[in-house]
Amino acid sequence: MAAPFRSVYRPLWRIITGSGRLTVGMRTFSFTENHFSAKNHKTASVGSPWTLHGAVCLQRLPVISQDRNPIEEEFSGLMQQMELERSLLSDHELRLLEDAARISRKQEEDYDSDEEEDYGDNEIVTAQDLEDAWEQKLKQFHPAQRSNGDKLDVSSSERCLADSLVLLIKQDVGSQKVWLLPQIQWKAEETLRQTAERALANLPGSDLKATFLGNAPCGFYKYKYPKDIQKEGSVGAKVFFFKAVTCSPKHLPLEKNSFAWVKKDELKDFLMPEYLKQVNRFIMSL
Amino acid sequence: MNHLTSLKRVILLQNTRALMYAASLVQNELLTTQKMPWGTLLTNRQYKSMPTHGIGKYRHLLPKTLPKKKKDKIQMKQIKAATDTEFGVLNVCVSGYDMTLVEHYSQYIHNFCNHLDVKVVESYALPTKTTEVMVMQDQGTKMYVDGILKTHERVVQISEMKATLCPIVMEVLLKNQPEGVKLCVKEHTEADFQSRFKARPELEGLIAKVNN
Repeated sequence: MAAPFRSVYRPLWRIITGSGRLTVGMRTFSFTENHFSAKNHKTASVGSPWTLHGAVCLQRLPVISQDRNPIEEEFSGLMQQMELERSLLSDHELRLLEDAARISRKQEEDYDSDEEEDYGDNEIVTAQDLEDAWEQKLKQFHPAQRSNGDKLDVSSSERCLADSLVLLIKQDVGSQKVWLLPQIQWKAEETLRQTAERALANLPGSDLKATFLGNAPCGFYKYKYPKDIQKEGSVGAKVFFFKAVTCSPKHLPLEKNSFAWVKKDELKDFLMPEYLKQVNRFIMSL
Repeated sequence: MNHLTSLKRVILLQNTRALMYAASLVQNELLTTQKMPWGTLLTNRQYKSMPTHGIGKYRHLLPKTLPKKKKDKIQMKQIKAATDTEFGVLNVCVSGYDMTLVEHYSQYIHNFCNHLDVKVVESYALPTKTTEVMVMQDQGTKMYVDGILKTHERVVQISEMKATLCPIVMEVLLKNQPEGVKLCVKEHTEADFQSRFKARPELEGLIAKVNN
């Protein structure tokens, strides 16, 4: 990773608890337990010619809010101005006014300090001094950058902080290298969700602490093997997709060109058209 | 003859008076029993018999409100079916320092659930917690108050959400979460329900005494 994640101006905390707890706050994760335990899985009927695969659609959630349109900017400016004009003065602002009045009274010739009430601390620390101190503190605070350069290489998970990104892997399918969502074949006696978890865990070096959003698959794709590979009893494969989210993924120690974090509209540059059609159905662009 | 006629006249007069009296009696009886909407001669008020009687009434149209019970019963979790699982009662807690963001986000969640026909049982706010940030002074041991932070919390309680719908709902909520707002989805428990009530220290003290 190029640089560690600096403190964002307003930290993003997300806590999801199923039966366990998932704190997506200061990037500490604990897995949600599979509360609904795997029911007895019907063994695949003997004559089924399709092999099952489980795949995971791992998304990096957006870190910051999206930028506003020009119209939205104008409107928010207008609303802020209106609220400011209609609002009452706060305690601090009243204190500022009082101090200013007191100072102007001091300048006059017939000033009698005994007439002042509630003098006390206000002489030592005026409201203006407090404001200056606060200004100093604000200057010391440096918010992180909102955009790290959207045209960065696709393998960085810190591009496009305002959008959600999907992880794509280049895998061998048959004889070709194809971009697709991480998938792996289903083994007997495990639920499809566990297959998807295994698919994620199989990516080299991934301690990607992802949370699966549910036990139900979100999408489905089936493809037939090319004729020469088709044996008796396997016509093709059916892939079930499961959704998972992660907040601040670490850099995957894969080769540069074998994985990518892409936005929804960039998917078409990577995926095959048929596959893309099915995948587009369940990937939401915010 | 004169004597007779005068007598007759007197009798006649008396008769007529009696007749009139009798007639008025009869008239009154008639009117009170039959309630005929006659004229202004009589002193009965007519509005109850007008066609527009009771024109402004609405209390009979309102639903019957039962006398308020002191405490509601807690919802029981629904039995989950094998394939079509549904969650029980879930609490979606939204908390943060900025009240406008927290409230708007909780309203967004509520409207979103309404739109997807996920039953929202109730939507309430928990009391605001105030945190004072104290900073140690540079020269000295005294701490002074640097700032006051108020944590606001809103809860949207949903029930019987289908497990197939859950990933979609969660994804949308997570993607639309504003900065500075914490989202927490928990199961609703009795303890959560009881925490909303005020503690009654005197009652608890008395109960402890009774038990001891």
